[in-house]
Amino acid sequence: MATFELYRRSTIGMCLTETLDEMVQSGTLSPELAIQVLVQFDKSMTEALESQVKTKVSIKGHLHTYRFCDNVWTFILQDAMFKSDDRQENVSRVKIVACDSKLLTQ
Amino acid sequence: MADQGTEGSQPVDLTKHPSGIVPTLQNIVSTVNLDCKLDLKAIALQARNAEYNPKRFAAVIMRIREPKTTALIFASGKMVCTGAKSEHLSKLAARKYARIVQKLGFPAKFKDFKIQNIVGSCDVKFPIRLEGLAYSHSAFSSYEPELFPGLIYRMKLPKIVLLIFVSGKIVITGAKMREETYTAFENIYPVLREFRKVQQ
Repeated sequence: MATFELYRRSTIGMCLTETLDEMVQSGTLSPELAIQVLVQFDKSMTEALESQVKTKVSIKGHLHTYRFCDNVWTFILQDAMFKSDDRQENVSRVKIVACDSKLLTQ
Repeated sequence: MADQGTEGSQPVDLTKHPSGIVPTLQNIVSTVNLDCKLDLKAIALQARNAEYNPKRFAAVIMRIREPKTTALIFASGKMVCTGAKSEHLSKLAARKYARIVQKLGFPAKFKDFKIQNIVGSCDVKFPIRLEGLAYSHSAFSSYEPELFPGLIYRMKLPKIVLLIFVSGKIVITGAKMREETYTAFENIYPVLREFRKVQQ
């Protein structure tokens, strides 16, 4: 199954990439294996978000800009309110990038 | 409909609108030719508030907030602008879209701007016997309440379509000039009064 590389830019993805870079540079890991780890990370993130994360968050804000191109939605919200079960947080500016996961299974 | 007839701040010109009611313009559709081939994907990627899904529709759908409108931009350079509330605002909006396309590096012109349709609406504030109207104006009327609750009145002169509802709300469409909308309404108004429903 193909996967998005969307989650590599998350904090956990960046940390993993950094670590793999260090290991490749010091010679403890081959570049091929490092790539393989990243690909596995893409798969695992997708699976984990699908099956293990139950929390739902609602995001409400003023839609400043939107775009739909190449099956990717991009939204820029201003004064957005993030709400989950027990807490909420205001963010003055947020960018949302959303891909259709159905595209991967096709 | 705040700015209709007697409620507005300006008095109604009764020589133009004998009924005392001025239909409110709700939607203007216009077209213009930007007269250059466009790379729609490049436009969708660079412009804000754009949608491009060539599998579903072969045009970029773009929106601006002022005047609040939507444009369909085709690869041929032809553009459709919808949603404006007056002819002037429709042209202003079309110019703004043309400017956006220009700023993305295309040699866009502004050729053959044309208003294609004007939709107006108003409320005569009395209920109407649609069946009676449909019967006596059968040559122009189509009233199939099982399909659509309004009576469709195809006026011949001016060539305008009116949707007439029991409530007294009227939609007037098909005009290229706002005067046609007004004339069509003044033509139908005496008929509507004739078929006014008397409340029991």
